[in-house]
Parts: sequence; C-alpha cells; structure tokens
Amino acid sequence: MKKNNSGKIIQITRRSALKGMATTAGVAAVSLAAPGIIRRASAADPIKVGVISPLTGAWTVYGKAHSAGFELAVDEINAAGGVLGRKFEIILGDSKTEPRIVVEQANRLIRQERVDFLAGTFSSAERNAAGPVVTSANKILLYPTFYEGQEKEYYPGVCNKNMFMFGPEPTQQVWPHLEYMMNKFGKKFFMIGSDYAWPRVTNQVTKRRLLELGGEVVGEVYIPFNTPQYESVLRDIRASGANIIFHTLTGSDTVNFRLQYTAAGMKKDFVLWTVDDEEVVTSGLGPDVSAGDYVSFDYFMSIENPNNTAFLKRFRAKFGKDALMNTVGVAMYNAAHMAAMAIEKTGEVSTDALREGLKDIEFENGPQGKVRMRGLDHQMVLPSYLMRVRKGWTGVNDMFEEIQSFPSVEPLDARCQLPL
Amino acid sequence: MSTALSVVVDATLITLILALAAFGLAIIYGLVGVINMGHGAMLTLGAYLTWAATTAGLPFVISIFLAAAGVAVIGLLLEHIVIRSFYDRPFDTLLLTWGFFLVSTEVIKIVFGTDLRNVANPVPGAFDLGGIQIPAYRTMIAGCSLLLIAGSALVFFYTALGIKIRALIQNREMASLLGLDVSRMYKLVFVTGSFMAGLAGALISPMLSVDPYIGNIFLVRSFFVVIIGGIGHLLGGTLIGSFLIGGSETLFALFSGQVFAQTAVFAVAIVVLRFRPHGVLRSG
Repeated sequence: MKKNNSGKIIQITRRSALKGMATTAGVAAVSLAAPGIIRRASAADPIKVGVISPLTGAWTVYGKAHSAGFELAVDEINAAGGVLGRKFEIILGDSKTEPRIVVEQANRLIRQERVDFLAGTFSSAERNAAGPVVTSANKILLYPTFYEGQEKEYYPGVCNKNMFMFGPEPTQQVWPHLEYMMNKFGKKFFMIGSDYAWPRVTNQVTKRRLLELGGEVVGEVYIPFNTPQYESVLRDIRASGANIIFHTLTGSDTVNFRLQYTAAGMKKDFVLWTVDDEEVVTSGLGPDVSAGDYVSFDYFMSIENPNNTAFLKRFRAKFGKDALMNTVGVAMYNAAHMAAMAIEKTGEVSTDALREGLKDIEFENGPQGKVRMRGLDHQMVLPSYLMRVRKGWTGVNDMFEEIQSFPSVEPLDARCQLPL
Repeated sequence: MSTALSVVVDATLITLILALAAFGLAIIYGLVGVINMGHGAMLTLGAYLTWAATTAGLPFVISIFLAAAGVAVIGLLLEHIVIRSFYDRPFDTLLLTWGFFLVSTEVIKIVFGTDLRNVANPVPGAFDLGGIQIPAYRTMIAGCSLLLIAGSALVFFYTALGIKIRALIQNREMASLLGLDVSRMYKLVFVTGSFMAGLAGALISPMLSVDPYIGNIFLVRSFFVVIIGGIGHLLGGTLIGSFLIGGSETLFALFSGQVFAQTAVFAVAIVVLRFRPHGVLRSG
C-alpha cells in the first residue's frame, strides 16, 4: 500500500494516476478524498534503474556478462538492505545492438518506467545515440564499455556531464603497454579495425603515443561490418612488413578475420595485439587461433586478488560455474555499487545528487582492485593488464598469462571543456 | 609479379567460396522461383549442425554430410508444410521464408545459446605457390565448390532428370500436361537447394565464427550473385555473379580501402543490372 506521507504534489500524469488507482484499489476512499493520486517516492519505493543491454542482435555474445554484472551488484545491494532504506529495482531494456533501438529504449525507460537513472548501452555508437536522450531528459547514464576516450567533437556522446565512464580508454588500455610491445617486437604497426567510431578514434589516440615513442604505422584499414572474406587485407598485411598487428575489429568480424589469418599461416610471422577480445570472444576463437596473441584490459577473470576471488565465487553461485565475466560486466558491477554509494553519501535520489555523489568516489571492492571515479572528467582510474593467450588453454582460468600490469592508471584528461 | 599472382589466387578463392555460399539460393530462387530469405538461416543451420556433430566426436567429413542432410530434412518439412502451396505467389514466399529465418534464428539461440562457437579447421596450414602462401583449407573448399557446381550442371544438362527440371522451368502447364509430376519435381529442387545451402554452411563453418547470424553475411551477397549472374543460370551465372560481387572486390582493394572496395562492388552491380536487367547471361 502506498502511503502519501507528504502533502507535496510532485507530478501527476494520466499514466501514474491509472497505475496508482490500480495498485491502491484497496484504499479507494483515500484516493477519492485526495484531489489526485499523489506520486511521491516514499521510503518503501524502490530506486529504479534502467539497464540497456545488447540482449539480441550482433553483440548478443557480450550482452549476458553486461547485464549479469549489474544484476549481481543489485542483489548484493538489496541483500544488505538497499540504499536509504530503499531497494534497487532493475528494468531491463534490450538494445538489439542498434543505436536506433537504444534511443527508443532510453525514452521508454525514462518517460514510461520513470527510472531514476540509466546504466548500460554497449558500443560507442549505442552510447552516442543515448547521449541526446539523457541530456534532454537530464538523467545520468553509467557507461561500462572500454571505449575511445572523450573528444569534444563527439559531444553529447562523450564530454557529457550526465555520463560516467566506468571502462578504460586508450590512454589506460593501450599507452601503458606500447613501450613493452615495441621493445620486444619492433616499431612497425599495422592497424586493422571495424569501420566505426571506436576503432578509428582508438587508433588515432594510440598513434599519438606510438609516434612519440618512435614507432611507425605501416598500414591502417577499416573493415565494414559482416565482411566474410579477408584475402586482400591479409595480402596487404603481408606486404606491409609490419611487426605488430594492432587489432580493433569487433564482434563476429574479429573471429572471421582471425580464423582466416591463422589458416593463412600468418601467425608465425606477426604478433597480434588486440584491445577488443576478452574472455567471451577468446572462448569463441578457440585455443589454436588465439594462442600467443596479446590482449590488454583493466580486468580479466584470471587476475589474482582477494576481491576477484570473492567476486567470481558470488558470480558463479548466481549464474552457474561456466558463466563468463569480462571487463564490461565488471564495469557494470562497479557502476551499480558506486551509484549506491553515491546515493548513500548524498542522502538523496536525484540527477544532481547522483552526479555530485559519483565524483571522486572510491570503490574498495572492485573485482580488479580499488578503483576511483574522477570528478574532473567522469573517467575511472583503473588498473591495466597486458596478457598473452596461453598455448592450449582449456578455459578462462588458464586462458591468459600476465605479461605486465599497472595497479592504477590515471587516464589523460578528457579532451573536453573541463570540469564536466 | 608475385602481387599479380596473389591477386589472381585471392580473386579465385573469394569467387569460388562465394559461389558455394550462393549456390543453394541459385537453385531455389533460380529454378523454382522461391525468393528464399531463409537462405542465410540454412547456412547458419549447416554450420551449427557441423559444430554439434564435430563436438560429439564425429569426423569432419561425416559431420558436414550429416549437417547438409539435416538442413535438407528441414527444407523438406518447410516445403511440404508451407512453401508448396505458394509456388505461384513468389512475393508471399519472400515473407514466409523471412519468417522461417526469424523462427530458425530464435530456435538456434534457444538450443545452442548465443555464445560464439568455432569448428576446428580440419586442414590447417598453408602451402607455398611461387612465393605466396595459400591457405590449404580455403583452397580445398574452393575445389569442392567447383566440383559441386560442375556436377550439378552435368545433372542439369545431361540427364533425364535435368531435362524434366528444365521443362518445368520453361513451361509448367505444358510439362504437367505431358505427365510430369510437377509437385514432386518442385519438392526435389527445393530440397536439393536446402541441401546445398546446408553443405555450404558446413564447409564454411571452420572459416567463420559460428553464431546465430553467421549465414546472413552471405544473404544479400548471394541474392546479388544470382540476380547479376542471371536467374536460372546455374553454372556460368553463379560463377560470373560471384566474381563480380566477391572476386572483383580484391581488385578494387588493390587501389583503395576495404570500405571503398565493398561499396564499389555494389555500385558496379547496380550499373550492370541497369544495362543487363536480367543478369549478365540473359539478354532481353
């Protein structure tokens, strides 16, 4: 039963009025006495979070870890009694991996479901689509994916005061490992990526540091989505004399390219460094195709620290022992917990309070270790790992072998009007 | 010199593999006129069944035939339950087969899940030809593609069965008046097309990521192949269409980026259709 413990009328809509009537049929007399149904978030009402995940479509493979990370955190928050005495409630929206659908879902979640804030979207294209919606509705979006970093020209998809970035960007994911890779394998890079914002900007940022270090880009190609055959690209790579293939293909194109690259017998002649292929995609590649390749991220299931051990135990208890987690799922996990902490800290559920609360908040229990949200540019301070895929791996536990790591990497300041 | 040779090799491989992927559609769309939007789903099913069979421990060669047979059975059911009542309404078959694609994709997701899977490459490695490396498995399936198309053409042009099918395409009423069992022939052609699509999906599976949408990356390309080559031209049409849609891309890619090359290919396809609206091999 809803209690109207405050006389203030916040907002009345036809929808909420109808909903109110339905749920408070038992106290119709009270309702009739009031001039309208008074919608007021009372202490017992849940805090509603709209989660937008790629549950169907091209990036379904990532969708499971994506939403699972958030669900696990919400379970933990609610088991501990919620925030300000209120529980978190997830309302899930399927992005179908399409920016157009993201806009529809974000609008639905905000206007119909009346969520308090949003979390999710997966690709940069999806996030960019959500940008204008959260700006005009003035809602916070917690964005989990490793991405290209914030450049002013892509506002409102980035550099947006309503967005918080929980995943790493290239100055954290790539820059720390460039020197090692160049010293070990050589200075010539061939860049291959999918044809959209993330690979292009990631390469642009990577190049800046690469050239400073005396490296060279001997080839740069972008592949349209869903390209089945790679002969001509493989020929270009062979002819380029590259030492390192820097790889930002996504989704099934990753798998298609690497199967054909391996079948062409090129693995022995080049080193491949990918910044896209976490546990899920590497599982899809299989041991023969992925062995010896380099991967860098803020999180891997196999990193060893007490936080991660405890996290994976809870994760497997809820989702089964074979379920896969990855950098994006962990970012969603951190996002939920840090939002809860921010609400606890400010004692209020509103966009402004959440924004202020999230600034410079630290989370001790991140699966990758202690993490911090920078207030200046809404960018996470995260660890950075460079891993090599083991030969003949059998599962996520022995898939990656640590080459080097940095416990806490500050990103370059976002190229925005700062502070956000 | 070695660049020229490798371009020729690449173009040949791409052409033949695309021809393999498009061949099932060339049969179903080209011969009985069903606009099979479920072609991609048939490729996908072939790939998943191969994955299931190899994972169960069966040898690769047996797995691909089981997979193709499985897709043929699914094609038979689809034809018998739905398609056979719609041969004279091609536009409706477009919607029906699209429905088949939607249902089959969801069923695949339910049965196999959405994780990426892979089929181990049965013939790994590459061989050396005049200084260029050629992947062994791709060469093998390019060869299979050529054999399948040539074999089908033989059946089509030199057997009694082929004559019946050609009679059917030329004039359905007349063929049936002359005692041809039309509905059985249609069924046979549809099932053969399904079998070829399943076989193509099976053969291609070690080269691609096995996911619920694997077949669809070939769907649009396959339609272009059939339309550009000329509907009903099984042998030459499929090969010429595949070269224009697939092989020529590697030539464009010599002078430009991949994105431009793929765009250029489809632009050329449209220009070709403007001047040969019934395909390269059909005038008028």
